[in-house]
Amino acid sequence: MKKIKTHGTFEQTLTPLLFLAPNMLIFTVFIILPAVFGLRMAFYEWSILGDAHFIGIDNFRMLLQDQMFWRTLSNTVVYVVSVVPLTIVASLGLSLIAARQIPGIGTFRAFYYLPTMLSYVIVGIAWRWILGDDLGIVNYLLTSAGAVKVHWLTKSSMAMASLVFVTVWNRTGYFMMMFIGGLTAIPDTYYEAAKIDGVSRFQMFRHITLPLLRPTVLVVGVLSTIEAFKAFELIFVMTGGGPGYSTKFLVQNIYQIAFEEDRMGYGASMSIVLLIIIGAFAFFQFFMNRKEYSNE
Amino acid sequence: MVKKTAVGTLLLIVMVSMVWAGGQGEESGEAEKVELSVLWFDDANESEVFLETMADYREANPNVSFDMQVIPFSDYEKKLKLMIAGGTPPDIARVTNNHVSMLYDSLQPLNGNIENLDEFASNFFESSLAFATNPAGELVALPTEATANGMLVNKTAFKSVGIDIDELSKTWTWEDWFDAMKKVVAENEKVKYGIGYDFSPHRWSTLLFEAGGRFLNEDADGMNFNTPEAVDALKFFKRLHSEELAPHSVWMGSEKPQEMFKSGLVACHIGGSWWINAYAKDITNFEWGAVRMPKRKIRSSVPGGKFIATFKGADNKEAAYDVIKTFSDKKHNEQYCRDTFNLSSRKDADIDYPSRGKDFAVFGEDLSVTPAYTAIDWKSPELNKIYSYIREQIVEGLLENQTMEEAAENIHTKGNTFFE
Amino acid sequence: MSRTTRYILLGFFTALFIFPIMWVFLSSLKPQSELFSFPLSILPNEPTLNNYFSAFREGDFLLYFKNSMFVAVTATLITVLINTMAGYALSKFIFKGRDIIFYVMIATLMIPLQVIMVPIFILLKNLGMLNSLWGIIIPPAATPTGIFLARQYILTIPNSLIEAARIDGGGEFFIFHSIILPLATPIIATITIFSFMWRWNDFLWPFIVISTQKYMTVQLALANFVGQYQINWASLLAMTMISMVPMIVVFLLFQRYFVRGLTAGGVKF
Repeated sequence: MKKIKTHGTFEQTLTPLLFLAPNMLIFTVFIILPAVFGLRMAFYEWSILGDAHFIGIDNFRMLLQDQMFWRTLSNTVVYVVSVVPLTIVASLGLSLIAARQIPGIGTFRAFYYLPTMLSYVIVGIAWRWILGDDLGIVNYLLTSAGAVKVHWLTKSSMAMASLVFVTVWNRTGYFMMMFIGGLTAIPDTYYEAAKIDGVSRFQMFRHITLPLLRPTVLVVGVLSTIEAFKAFELIFVMTGGGPGYSTKFLVQNIYQIAFEEDRMGYGASMSIVLLIIIGAFAFFQFFMNRKEYSNE
Repeated sequence: MVKKTAVGTLLLIVMVSMVWAGGQGEESGEAEKVELSVLWFDDANESEVFLETMADYREANPNVSFDMQVIPFSDYEKKLKLMIAGGTPPDIARVTNNHVSMLYDSLQPLNGNIENLDEFASNFFESSLAFATNPAGELVALPTEATANGMLVNKTAFKSVGIDIDELSKTWTWEDWFDAMKKVVAENEKVKYGIGYDFSPHRWSTLLFEAGGRFLNEDADGMNFNTPEAVDALKFFKRLHSEELAPHSVWMGSEKPQEMFKSGLVACHIGGSWWINAYAKDITNFEWGAVRMPKRKIRSSVPGGKFIATFKGADNKEAAYDVIKTFSDKKHNEQYCRDTFNLSSRKDADIDYPSRGKDFAVFGEDLSVTPAYTAIDWKSPELNKIYSYIREQIVEGLLENQTMEEAAENIHTKGNTFFE
Repeated sequence: MSRTTRYILLGFFTALFIFPIMWVFLSSLKPQSELFSFPLSILPNEPTLNNYFSAFREGDFLLYFKNSMFVAVTATLITVLINTMAGYALSKFIFKGRDIIFYVMIATLMIPLQVIMVPIFILLKNLGMLNSLWGIIIPPAATPTGIFLARQYILTIPNSLIEAARIDGGGEFFIFHSIILPLATPIIATITIFSFMWRWNDFLWPFIVISTQKYMTVQLALANFVGQYQINWASLLAMTMISMVPMIVVFLLFQRYFVRGLTAGGVKF
């Protein structure tokens, strides 16, 4: 049989580039260019309404000594490391229940997806209200039932836990949809054949579903990691970074420095460090999944 | 085969560019018509009232139209800075005293651009004018509303334990307040807490000024915050929390004092004159009102305000000057302040508020004994840059992660880094 | 797992996810003064639809809806097309720089948009795209997430199908259009649902680009209910509920394309 080359010819190089072109064009002009310009500012001192002075790596030197930076970084890492695994497990689990096309399943999926449709502001405001010490419905129900009220958002560790919970609540439906997409790529024939061979449910999950879901797990893992590192609006509305500094994360710090303290250059340098850190976490996940090309 | 793909993708790119070009924005064809971009933020209905107030102006000047751009307050400063940095500032904008001090370099000085400015300006409160004057002594905005910090109380709660708060507050001190408050919290079941402060350094600073302290030094070119007075004010605030008179969930959580006040959980609210409007609408089940601030070393409020201004890079400055001046004259200013339920910044304003006139008078009275340096402190750009920092440091002190002496020291040092 | 067990589990999780939203919905039926009355009420004491009416009165919500709808629909059409094309290119072809391009795209997701707000503003101003709906349709259409999803999904389409088509002499565009697209229906449905939601819920892009009332979107208008000192709860809650409707409709319409085992005429196992 004639072997068709799948790469190397001019055709096979031009074609993908053409398919990529519209996306790359928009992307380069509207995202890459401003990003490069914005991040370049890390080597300058720049007040938003003033001029920029080149200062080399001074911003980065300052970073190393900046206690607030390290504090917010560690808060963020704790948050990410808690949110991501919980999200993956929750959305995968939910998708297993919700993937099958049984009557009414669309409505159920819609219910799980509903929290995702709310803007961060509403989610934050609603949960802040629900978890309020004195005016919140949860504590109200607890105290009416004779229990003691919980300081959901006013004790440092509890606040972090509440934030993690609300984040997972908010994002599970979104990632569940991705898993459902991934699950439907697995042909029923695989499962049917396995059933005939007498394979148990659990083993089917372990040997058919899980391996074939690896590409999706990678997507969910990387995306939820990136999102968690960038968390800001939800956190800010719910706790404002408090109590004290206990839930102040990196992006809030960057915002305060860049806009309120008017040090855009320093803020940009923090963004570069953030970029590197997220990149490391993401790269790690890509590395663990490098077998995906074996489909060839 | 390749040609087909190439053509297909090329077509796509062309389509996209055509469609993109179609969004170039519209050009207005007629030269005499002026469309002024007006940036505004609402707390209740301010943008609407602005248009209503200026309706007669538009009738008299049919070639002028307003393109109202209402932006949420929490993003207002960002939007302004974005537009200025991008070279397209609005023609007219409503700004707070915070904004003015941040944007001194970008606001258009009105001296020489508005006729008889000195005479016109003499009608406004000193503190309001102070906020709107840049370091070079030029007036860069005209004051609209004046705001004052003050105490709003749940009169019914005090009455329930036999205290006539109106009488008591005429000459009271903070110790008097403590006595009265403890009685109310102990004997009135509904009231859980005595006092709520908005989660804001500006509101907290009422305590600072009343303790005889301030943020800046005499010449306003450096901090003066590591003083016994400042520490005293910080410790007093802590005392309110440790004696359970102030709820932890406000400064160490995220509940809002006004919501707790409305629900009757908190008997007093240190907020500002703008609350009169909201409370008038929302509170229906108890009697409330403004009372004088209790005295510590001195009695003081904290001034603030809103202003109207134009920008150096604005397209239609000439038309803007006219609008700004008209909006700030007695007639228009009175109408605007009356319909938005705000204190006017004009000394000669005689406003017949549909209700709650007495409360406005109380705030005005507190303002009249407020020292001028309170405005000078709050108009400094350096102080505004460490706004969140101050708040965070106070909370760290309340949480006992540091002493109040350390908090004062930190704030003092951080502020000075911006004065260098 | 049996049908019954499945439905029970589904129901249980529904309660967990829905509870706060029910709270928001019930609160939207209460007059503002009741929201903060103590003791708290769960069900409205005097249910009212006033909040919904006053929210419409207070702003030009019909206009904002129209704008948001135009943006969301147009952007979704563009996004789905260019993202699947890009995902296909990145997964089924080998060429120099392929992986770099992919990783760079993912990397840009890691930069908070706030940091590059000012350069974007200046760029859009120079291109004349400020204060125009296209300014919030086109730039965000090249979503790295969408490409990521498309790529991962198309990776699982067997190469043999593509090779067979090439042997039969099919053109590249034909392969894309007749083989990839039909097989990728589930992920296209996913991207459609997501893209609609992203654009409908977009706040940052419209914030940067739009200043004029004429092109205001629903999200910008909702944010205006959160004032400097107080929140207009009544209108905020009511309009939030209403603004969820289009997203729910799109969701229900497209989620039915998640049909399992779509290998019509595909590889025999």
